Amino acid sequence: MDIKILLVDDEFDFVETMTKRFHIRKMPVTSAASGMEALKLIDEQDFDVVILDVRMPGMDGLEVLRQIRAKRPLTEVIMLTGHASLDAGMQGMSLGAYDYVLKPADFDELLDKVRRAAERKALNVSAQARG
Amino acid sequence: MSAPRPEANHIGGARKLLSKATGARVWKEQRLVLWLHFLLPPVLAALVVAATFATPPLAALLAGAVLFLAACSARGLMSRLSRAEEAKNLLTAQLIQSQKLAAVGELSAGIAHEINNPIAIIAQETEWAAHLLSDAEKASGADFAEVRDSLREIRSQVDRCKNITHKLLDFARKREPVLQEVDVARLVDDMARLVDKEASYKNVTLTRTLPENLPRLRTDAPLLRQVVLNLMTNALHAVDKGGLIEVTAQVDEEFMNIHIKDNGHGIDPKDMDKIFNPFFTTKPPGQGTGLGLSLCHNMVSGMAGQICVESQLGKGTTFTIRLPRKV
Repeated sequence: MDIKILLVDDEFDFVETMTKRFHIRKMPVTSAASGMEALKLIDEQDFDVVILDVRMPGMDGLEVLRQIRAKRPLTEVIMLTGHASLDAGMQGMSLGAYDYVLKPADFDELLDKVRRAAERKALNVSAQARG
Repeated sequence: MSAPRPEANHIGGARKLLSKATGARVWKEQRLVLWLHFLLPPVLAALVVAATFATPPLAALLAGAVLFLAACSARGLMSRLSRAEEAKNLLTAQLIQSQKLAAVGELSAGIAHEINNPIAIIAQETEWAAHLLSDAEKASGADFAEVRDSLREIRSQVDRCKNITHKLLDFARKREPVLQEVDVARLVDDMARLVDKEASYKNVTLTRTLPENLPRLRTDAPLLRQVVLNLMTNALHAVDKGGLIEVTAQVDEEFMNIHIKDNGHGIDPKDMDKIFNPFFTTKPPGQGTGLGLSLCHNMVSGMAGQICVESQLGKGTTFTIRLPRKV
């Protein structure tokens, strides 16, 4: 199964490296450099997993998370954070984030989390189909 | 469904008759003991009758035996009854607790829902007022710094309200757990890493010693993450500088228990039966919504588990998340 991933981060280098690494695994990644851009993409496409930086200029990652959950309740969101902020962590989890990854992120760890998040989405979708 | 075989029916019928005759309704593994209790009184009666026919020394011996057996049986019955009573009380308490939480949850979600819209409008209008204010400043050249401060304060208080209503709505949300294989040790470590930094500011040690061969658990990962994170944060708030928080886990046949233990100030015994109530908090006003633990209780129930607490004032508190291994 192909996992549709959206990577949202304002750090260009990070996005580039991550995209490359996902591509090597034959997993296509769409990227967005800001919250606004991400939300626009989410309106157009149904992503399985969004990897979302907590701290970005412009719209705050938590606000983006809130809007993603409202727009696409089935899409799972993995939060990325550079600084281990407990408060942001608590808020993110209570807003319905699937998981948290601390930067610098270990790629295999992130990949595993993406797979599990996608699995959860698939489970939710099939549960909904059953009614 | 297949029709029951005749002999099964026959056994069922015999059992029904026996149940009627003995008054016992619960059989299963208790069968033998129940039978012993049932058969003992007639046996004792027979012994007493036999004693009246016997010679005095034999009668004394029989009387002694009757006394001993009767006492044993009475004691067995008594402890069985007490145990059943205790189990019933515990279940009733749990039932009352969860019914109370459900009722309050429903009520507060209703209120939160109603209040959400006005709050959103206040937020919008505040933003609009700030916009008008900057226009007016440009036009007149006057400085409205104080008005702007006041608007900012309104905005921050509105955010606070939004935060509370959000939590309340979260509280009442019906949760259908999504079950996945979860590596609990990894999950705990992930969440602990979020707490680590804050813990090091307070010079608090946060250890997680989960057994290496901890089996995977089928449960709802994000729910468990929230509960673990919440309980670790609570523990961090409960300890003083130089405190210790220990996260451990152990499994038995049926359950996995995750313990979060701190050596903080503990919970006052008089508060013990209130800690899971929504809005109950011992923090100063404005510093806690008092929803954290009731949310945890809710989420753990959603995972078909239980949350237990043991605490000694001044010594510390241990929260245990008890999750079923077979859901």
